[in-house]
Amino acid sequence: MNAKAANRIADAIVIAVIFIALLLCLAPFLHIFSISLSSNRAIMSGDVTIFPVEINFEAYKKVLQDITMLRSMGFTVLLTISFTLICMTMSIIAAYPLTKSYLWGKKFFMLLIVITMFFSGGIIPEYILIKELHLMNTMWALILPAMISPFNLIILINFFQSIPSSLHESAEIDGASHFRVLWQIVIPLSMPVIATLSLFYAVSRWNGFMDTLFYITDPNLYPLQLKLYQLVMNNMVNDLIQLEGTQLVQFLPESLKAASVMFATVPILLVYPWLQRYFVSGIMLGAVKG
Amino acid sequence: MPYVRSRFDIRLVRPNHVYCRGSRFSSITGIRPGAVQRESAVKTSADGADAVQMQAIIQHFKNKKRRDGIRLQKHTIKRAAAGMISVMMTFSVLAACSGTPQAGQTGADGTSTGEKKSPVTLKVEIFDRGSAPAGQSATNNYWTKWMQDNFGTPNNIKIEYVPVPRSQEVQKLNVLMASGGDAPDIVFTYDSNLVYKYVQQGGLADLGPVLDEHGPNLKAFLGEETLAYGKFDGVQYAIPARRVSLGKYASFIRQDWLDALNLPVPQTTEEVYNTLKAFKEKDPGNVGKDLIPLGFALAPASYEPIIWPFIKSDLNEEETYTLRMQLGSRDYPILTPGHKEAIQFLNKLYNEGLISPDFALDKDKKKMNQDVMNGKVGLFSEDSVNPLLSNPGVARVLQTNVPGAKLKPVDPFAGADGKHWKPQYIPAGMYIMVPKSSKRVVEAVKYLDFMAQKDNYFTIFNGDEGKNHKMENGIPVLLDNQETKDKMFIGGDFMIISNGQDLGDPQKNDLLSVVYLAPEFIEDGKLARKISMTDTVPMVRFPKPIQAEVKYGSSLLDKYHELLVKSVLAKPEDFDKTYEQMLSDFMNSGGREIAEERKAAYQAMKK
Amino acid sequence: MNTTAATDSDRRMEAARHQRAITFLRRHWQLYVLLVLPIAYFLVFKYGPMYGVTIAFKDYNMFEGINASPWSGFDTFKEIFGMREFYVAFRNTLMLNFLDLAFSFPAPIILAMMLNELRHAWYKKLSQTILYLPHFISWVIVGGIVYQVFATKTGIVNTVLMNVGMEPIPWLSDKMYWVVTYIATGVWHSAGWGTIIYLAAMTGINKELYEAAEVDGAGRWTKIRYVTLPGIQSTIVVLLILKLGELVQIGFERPYVLGNVSVSEFSEVLSTFVYKMGLQSAQYSLATGVGFFQAVVGLIFILSANYIAKKTTDQGII
Repeated sequence: MNAKAANRIADAIVIAVIFIALLLCLAPFLHIFSISLSSNRAIMSGDVTIFPVEINFEAYKKVLQDITMLRSMGFTVLLTISFTLICMTMSIIAAYPLTKSYLWGKKFFMLLIVITMFFSGGIIPEYILIKELHLMNTMWALILPAMISPFNLIILINFFQSIPSSLHESAEIDGASHFRVLWQIVIPLSMPVIATLSLFYAVSRWNGFMDTLFYITDPNLYPLQLKLYQLVMNNMVNDLIQLEGTQLVQFLPESLKAASVMFATVPILLVYPWLQRYFVSGIMLGAVKG
Repeated sequence: MPYVRSRFDIRLVRPNHVYCRGSRFSSITGIRPGAVQRESAVKTSADGADAVQMQAIIQHFKNKKRRDGIRLQKHTIKRAAAGMISVMMTFSVLAACSGTPQAGQTGADGTSTGEKKSPVTLKVEIFDRGSAPAGQSATNNYWTKWMQDNFGTPNNIKIEYVPVPRSQEVQKLNVLMASGGDAPDIVFTYDSNLVYKYVQQGGLADLGPVLDEHGPNLKAFLGEETLAYGKFDGVQYAIPARRVSLGKYASFIRQDWLDALNLPVPQTTEEVYNTLKAFKEKDPGNVGKDLIPLGFALAPASYEPIIWPFIKSDLNEEETYTLRMQLGSRDYPILTPGHKEAIQFLNKLYNEGLISPDFALDKDKKKMNQDVMNGKVGLFSEDSVNPLLSNPGVARVLQTNVPGAKLKPVDPFAGADGKHWKPQYIPAGMYIMVPKSSKRVVEAVKYLDFMAQKDNYFTIFNGDEGKNHKMENGIPVLLDNQETKDKMFIGGDFMIISNGQDLGDPQKNDLLSVVYLAPEFIEDGKLARKISMTDTVPMVRFPKPIQAEVKYGSSLLDKYHELLVKSVLAKPEDFDKTYEQMLSDFMNSGGREIAEERKAAYQAMKK
Repeated sequence: MNTTAATDSDRRMEAARHQRAITFLRRHWQLYVLLVLPIAYFLVFKYGPMYGVTIAFKDYNMFEGINASPWSGFDTFKEIFGMREFYVAFRNTLMLNFLDLAFSFPAPIILAMMLNELRHAWYKKLSQTILYLPHFISWVIVGGIVYQVFATKTGIVNTVLMNVGMEPIPWLSDKMYWVVTYIATGVWHSAGWGTIIYLAAMTGINKELYEAAEVDGAGRWTKIRYVTLPGIQSTIVVLLILKLGELVQIGFERPYVLGNVSVSEFSEVLSTFVYKMGLQSAQYSLATGVGFFQAVVGLIFILSANYIAKKTTDQGII
């Protein structure tokens, strides 16, 4: 009874603390969301905190009517999915051999990989490489250079290592090949971490845009974040003074910027809840209890 | 009951063996947990039912294993084969792509004499703001086609546009220039230090002779003064764009507050101080404790109009050159007499609560503008007509939030000599360059010259009369229809030789700059522009950039702001100490090098 | 006679080693097949451009190219190490990263454990999704919000404090408080996202261990200590090693956006230093030099951390 009461108090504290954390995490997001729905006057005067003021849907209308935005969204989705599949595959086939402690050259390979986490050639040699491989303005330029993240790889290796080696050994004695062990045992048992790393890869590709700045010049291939970045950063006030009287300056209201942010962020947010179904223990398949 | 943890336990075990997983299993069979033992060797101590059950389970899994095993074997082989084939194909495609011999040069043949047959390619950089309407892009729009038809084709030139995102122009440009011959033939940047860097590394073509021969219109349009900014050690390495409006700052005051207190518009800094005090004590706008007499941000627009009138204006040429420093793109009169007094004035304002309390955190004037819009501010300075523009619409929002509020452009700050000194822009805007490696220097200059011709210039800015603009009072006003919007989204960026539109007549230019304001603000706009050009102090220029400024400019700019903030925030009795300390810190962080190099450069210049 | 015997046994050992190698490869050739593509990737895309690090040792002329630019030895490094700002930036980088480690590293672990304790599945799922929202808001936007909320005289937080009679706290203008704000926003930004990996690790813990512990009479706290924590221990160790390797690296956006001149003594870090001194005017040698320095130090850190971890917990990354 004392333990029970203590348990209940602990439960309550946990629920409360998480609730506060939820509020803190939700508030800024709601702020941006509200800006996207508020009038320009209210935004500029600082009236908008968490709830929209003077609601209007102009911003969203503008975003959704912009074909380039929608096209960019489509391309970005395609890019992200391809990227995730390719990266995950490569990471898995790289991780499995490196899990074996008896692999000859293991230390060498690991060192090779870890070094790339720190030393890199810099943007100019990388740009030249992409140019020489004729990958400019292709989707591959955004996929190949980042195919394996050493960070994710190391995490994957670590998770693979947590699978009891007796499983591997008995399978080998049975005559199962490495390919088979990987395919039938290791992968099914590692679904949670594979789902997690897929999420990491997907989000990193979705949010990343530095490489797109340099490798993509065809507007049809602009990923969403690049378009967004341009929208938000490109209309700087300094230029306005110089450009006045020269072109119909399209100064974007804050609400449009906020709506674009929402447009680019919400899709990727929905990925995790969808992936949560993979977060089931892989070992407890078919337990038979008497 | 014996229980099995998972089918994996049995399935992977050697044939006819049993893998013991749990303690119950172990107690029944006598096998150690985790051990594997021949099935036949297992003696169960369980009663009959358990034993039978266990046998059934084992048998079930053995059969399953065999069945699964065979099925999976076939399946796996098929899958593996498919996988390998697709992987191999992908990489062979890539290999094929990279193996193509031609290095993708778009038809630019090596012959420099431009054979009549094949056209030469001219690559031109263009800013991409992501603002292109659907169906167009920065590199493919009405004007790119127009240019090709009217300039390119008649001259046997194929124009290719290279887009650069506006916000990353420096980085992208650097990469383009550094990636070996891939740079466009016409490039540009706002950063003069970057231009000089290219000059030092021998990367730019000398445009002087080509300009003389092929760019008469361009030379006439730009004029000697502007062109001088592109000369480094006498060589024309860059063609600066002509900046049309040179005025920088204007101040704005709440006229309704002045009226309520029956006060005149202040004409000197001393009077400003008294007016601010009156605002604070009498609170004519009924703002309450949030009242901010002087709206202030940590931005040049806020402090430059206040500081410069303090600076001693009757200096000789040498002092003017050597006591200032160019940080970023502005001249800072740090060592000039009067500077300390200016900062001290700000310190006084701050300590008496007459200035925005959080100005040190307001890097982009956002908070200041917000306070203005909410009616809390009495006086502030800004980039000439900014508050009157429709976006962000400071003046308009103010009128909505506070009915009766009236902003009037004023020029209040002046020192003992009665002059409202303030900086102005240099007449050069963007720096246009041609890489030395380019084979199309002549074509590039021709391109620019074409744009400088009066009719072309006018057309690119204004489109067709009647469809895109109409003439009002002698100036072209863009019409507000969809076709115009779609067509003209890029005009200004396209016209790289001109920052702003020059109608040839100063009065017309002034009118043009305010014609797009809301009607009720046009007169104020004109006044603000006039103020921005009153008593201006031009920047000084050496024949070539000061190395120390190139090196330390950015970081010293931050140090300057730090000096400003710390000195202004200090208590009045600590002001001297703080200012001197920050100043010596500033000098030690590169300031001294700059000052010395400037002295030396001045001597060299006078020889 | 003796020598023959010696070489004989040597030859036999050689042969045996050969035999072992062949057997090994015959058994495990598939592992190497699997590694072909990944290693090729690293060689082409990572080591291919690696010659770029030589910029730090050259007087780089961007028009002549990296290979043709003349060598300058350690000149760039002498220049960097002669700048006072460098040491300030370096010190700040270490300090801020270390504090980040102390607070931002445990936060997701604790949060994940709390989430694990939630009974109601819907609450758990909802929380997970909401808690990582901050990760998706770029620092530029976060910076704007932080400046609004934490402004000294006009921010919401201080307004509330003043209303309850307290003095306003200079969250952003006093360098000590600024560090607090910096770290706190870091925790806020990354904690939710960090829980994902730990929750994934927790699902891998055998459920029977919990049941067994329950049967043994363990309370909730004991279960956490003896089942959950050991279960995710390897994950924690690996992530800790990786984080230690990043101790000299620091992002650009966060210190740049959150920093301001009043606190520059603490907010200047290596990334902003490079930005100010190098990148804007294309001084690539300096930028690459600092990067090289960071890489060397970081590599030393991670190898040391790995070594220590291997010795103490028998786990590591290499």
